[in-house]
Amino acid sequence: MNTLEIKNLNVSIDGQAILKDFNLTIPKGEVHALMGPNGTGKSTLAKVMAGHEDYTVESGEILLDGVNILGEDPDEIAKAGLFLAFQYPLEIPGVSIANFIRAARQARLPEGEDINAVEYYKELYAKMDALKMDRKFTARSLNEGFSGGEKKRCEILQMSMLNPTCCVMDETDSGLDIDALRIVSEGVNLMRGPERSFLVITHYQRLLDYIVPDVVHVMFDGKIVHSGDAELAKELESKGYDWVQEEFVNAPA
Amino acid sequence: MSDTDIQDEAINVDTEKGNFKYPENYAYDAGVGLNEDTIKYISDVKKEADWVREFRLKALEIFKKKPMPTKWADQDLENIKFDEIRYYLSKGQQPSRTWDEVPDDVKETFERLGIPEQERKFLAGVEAQFDSEAAYSRMKEDLEKEGVIFVGSSEGLEKYPEIFKPYFGKVIPTADNKFSALNSATFSGGSFIYVPKGVKLKQPLQAYFRINAENFGQFERTLIIADEDSEITYMEGCTAPKFETATLHSAVVELVALKNAKIQYITVQNWSSNVFNLVTKRGMADEGAEVKWIDCNIGSRLTMKYPGVVLKGKGARGEVLSIALANDGQHQDTGAKMIHLADNTTSNIISKSISIGKGRSTYRGQVHMPKHLKNCKNNTECDALLINTNSRTDTYPAITTRGENNTVQHEASVSKVSAEQIFYMMQRGLSEGEAMSLAVNGFVNDLMKAFPMEYSVELKRLIDMEMEGSVG
Amino acid sequence: MNTILENPTTSTTDEPAWLADRRAAGLEQFKNLPMPSARDEMWRFASVGRLSIDGYDATDAPAADTVAALVGRSNLVTEREGLSVYVNDAQANFEGISDELAAKGVVYLPIADAVAQHPELMEQYFLKESTELGSEKFFGLHAASIKAGSVLFVPKGVEIEKPFVNYYWTSGEKAAVFPHTLVIAEDNAKASVVDIFFSETEENEALNVSVSNIHAGAGANVFRKIVQDWNEKTVSFQLDTTVADRDAQVKNVAVNIGAERARFENQTRIEGPGADVKMYSLTVAEKNQEFDQRTFQTHNAGNAVSDLLYKNALLDNARTIFSGLIKVAEGAQQTDAYQTNRNLLLDPTAEANALPGLEILANDVRCSHGATTGNVDADELFYMMARGISKRVAMQLMVFGFFEEVIEKVESDELAENLRQLIRNKFESKIK
Repeated sequence: MNTLEIKNLNVSIDGQAILKDFNLTIPKGEVHALMGPNGTGKSTLAKVMAGHEDYTVESGEILLDGVNILGEDPDEIAKAGLFLAFQYPLEIPGVSIANFIRAARQARLPEGEDINAVEYYKELYAKMDALKMDRKFTARSLNEGFSGGEKKRCEILQMSMLNPTCCVMDETDSGLDIDALRIVSEGVNLMRGPERSFLVITHYQRLLDYIVPDVVHVMFDGKIVHSGDAELAKELESKGYDWVQEEFVNAPA
Repeated sequence: MSDTDIQDEAINVDTEKGNFKYPENYAYDAGVGLNEDTIKYISDVKKEADWVREFRLKALEIFKKKPMPTKWADQDLENIKFDEIRYYLSKGQQPSRTWDEVPDDVKETFERLGIPEQERKFLAGVEAQFDSEAAYSRMKEDLEKEGVIFVGSSEGLEKYPEIFKPYFGKVIPTADNKFSALNSATFSGGSFIYVPKGVKLKQPLQAYFRINAENFGQFERTLIIADEDSEITYMEGCTAPKFETATLHSAVVELVALKNAKIQYITVQNWSSNVFNLVTKRGMADEGAEVKWIDCNIGSRLTMKYPGVVLKGKGARGEVLSIALANDGQHQDTGAKMIHLADNTTSNIISKSISIGKGRSTYRGQVHMPKHLKNCKNNTECDALLINTNSRTDTYPAITTRGENNTVQHEASVSKVSAEQIFYMMQRGLSEGEAMSLAVNGFVNDLMKAFPMEYSVELKRLIDMEMEGSVG
Repeated sequence: MNTILENPTTSTTDEPAWLADRRAAGLEQFKNLPMPSARDEMWRFASVGRLSIDGYDATDAPAADTVAALVGRSNLVTEREGLSVYVNDAQANFEGISDELAAKGVVYLPIADAVAQHPELMEQYFLKESTELGSEKFFGLHAASIKAGSVLFVPKGVEIEKPFVNYYWTSGEKAAVFPHTLVIAEDNAKASVVDIFFSETEENEALNVSVSNIHAGAGANVFRKIVQDWNEKTVSFQLDTTVADRDAQVKNVAVNIGAERARFENQTRIEGPGADVKMYSLTVAEKNQEFDQRTFQTHNAGNAVSDLLYKNALLDNARTIFSGLIKVAEGAQQTDAYQTNRNLLLDPTAEANALPGLEILANDVRCSHGATTGNVDADELFYMMARGISKRVAMQLMVFGFFEEVIEKVESDELAENLRQLIRNKFESKIK
């Protein structure tokens, strides 16, 4: 059973094609990394998966656990099990982290059923401790005035509290120092398991030292041009993306 | 108190909850329209002293002479039909001291609004006004023993003239504006409160104002005197059914905080969308005293209300914290006035408004430091949140400053909830409406903290209700 | 009201019919509208009870030697493209444009010559933009009486770096003057003007009702600087409007020092996306002076910027009124509009009034206004004195620091230094 299947996805914005016959399959329990130079469509893919309305989907399918989620509202996709860790998490003034995650959890319960507050806080605090987040953070407004590292940790905290089956991490390593990177990666590694898949989008190989992927894909101009194992990331790091272009894009098919 | 508790103990009050009415059945009815006979009828029914009767008649003359403030205010005021309104309706003038004695329909009204339950839970006293008169009024016995007076306006003027008469109509003179004159002519009900020297009320007193009758005008009059070193919190709530025709609510509220006293006055206004809510509220703060208005306006068709504080004694403090929510067809025209008349006085105004659909919210403010004063401070912040592309907000402050070492600061900003913020929250599984509600609650969150817990819960629910259907 | 201004004699038979009509309409407006009243929202806080225009009249230019002396004193800006000097609305000096600019189609002329030589242009723009901020009556008087002023027309794509400088002087007894500056910059043109208002002596009483209109076409760049240093026997109205089209950039910088009472009505109307209009003002008010500033930033198109900064320093019994309104029309999304009023009270008897207003009918906007009033910061003063600077010098430094934010925006070292000197002359000795 595959957690994620993206089939022949074509996406444009303002008439300009961004994703071109994009295909990707992630079997249950696997971690895939998606690498590629800037402007190649990685973040667009993440937003389209999450149901962002700014993009025009020309054709294709995105199956999450076998069900097409393309065209669904973002909250329905989220509730279906997809979590997107944002590259630039938004600041929501006046809404505390605790209340925000709680509202998100509540949204996943059937009508009339309420969260057990005591257990909720117990779980929240335990997960914050694991991410080395100060418990005082629960009362702070979501992402407001957070450093880059704090924002990304807060994303991972939400990911672990919302229990998704498919996690898409969009440039989670950007803006992180090495300590924060390690903590964030540990948080992700703790969530790895046979029932959960990951798509780790990154420009740099560094993150993949900590989150070791099962498969590495290289994306170029709107599609995956090459795939390999974890060693591919290291090769990319040393040879650069120009090598990909020469080797796999310009080469005759 | 953690936020856990707030959410778990939510009180179920919503905008629809007030939308019911009982058949009209009144023993006393001043009829339709306003003239000298109307005033005399009210005075007769209340068996008032001559000076009160004269006070009313003089006010009627002033009301007639004063023009509508449509030069600067909403033209919708022209749609008030003074000749079609009923100015006095009651089942009797004496409020009951137990809920059992309250007529069944009135009792059921307040039970549906949760008043007896709130009284048991956290209030020091309650007065429940049904149209023109209080149907129920009761205060905890130990407060009575301490000398606290908590009565209706008629009873206050009749039984305790030596306490109330010196301040009645002094903080807000009859001629202050057209609607203070109207209230001075027609007033009935409301609370007259006296807190003796040094007495500090730990729990709030509450009044609940209910309009049940159509084409009706409610004109309650409140006067709170906090003697030296005393403290009191007073809360008022209001609802009315949704009628076909316009209803008028025009109150006058005067607060007197004597030396080092503290008065906190909290309003959650949730009138139905046909009510003209034109209220004059002003407090006087003596040396070292503090007057704080916490004012939330959710309902009504047009609200005009600018709570003020006259900072009369050295070191007095004034504060207005206000939240206004203007939905389609509503105009929340609110604000604050701070009149500094002594050295070392400070005032603070925080106003947050939310406009939904074609709703319009307006802030009007006045900060006045007119004389040769020293070391006075004012800080004003007005933040407006606009939900839809055609929502409207206006800000019209007026600030006059003179003197030495005084500082005045006014800031206003306008913001919206961005599409990216909504997308972010929806990605976590919230619906668009929930995401919008959360953002709006976040916008007013820091002000909500100033509220007693029970009220902030109610307010949050009201905002959630108003936000439903505002997006998409 | 009892004023001889009701019978102006400016209209001549040479004038085209459209102008005669506009003058007649102006006179009607002047006669029919009442004097401002204290109850008028547009005049809130102004001491209208003491406002009088009685006894002033259009006056002839003074003797030749006086005129010559005033022309000599018209020397604030030496680097310039053109110059006009008027004394009591009579032309005293004129330096026209080079042949090169004339060949490109640039026009810089006295109003009357422009009406005669470019009637279509003038019919399109002259006296077409009235104030809407309360002085409509006085705009009418201006229209009926105007004879002095300059027109600058810069055609498409022509860029002129150096400014055109207009001096307007009053002289003699109870002179009424009606200066007019009209700037039309076509698409992608660049132009700058400096308007300077001076009195001959400290004593000559005068009434000024001036009007300035700027029309900035698509992508045009217009810079207007205003120096108002009337003597303290002058009653002044400056009724200015700016209309900015798509992508136009307009900057107004005003330094106001003079007059017994000065009313400013400054309107900006943004009619095209991408426009960027700046309105900066510095006022130094002393004795019994009253400066009454009314501003209006209208955004009729989205994606445009307007920024306003009015700084007032007050001494003695002076009063200032800043009343500003930002209006964002329905549909003008992505507007950035800012309005800031800062008042520095240097004496406890001075009074600053602020009425900063917003009317916003679109939700995706960045709009803010701020108004602050206060004294010199005591901590800053202490900090400087702790470094050994005397209190007097420290105060001066801080007050000039307060001014500098606006002064430096004139972007001319020469004019900036001249402005600093004017301010110093006026009140340096007063800061104790």
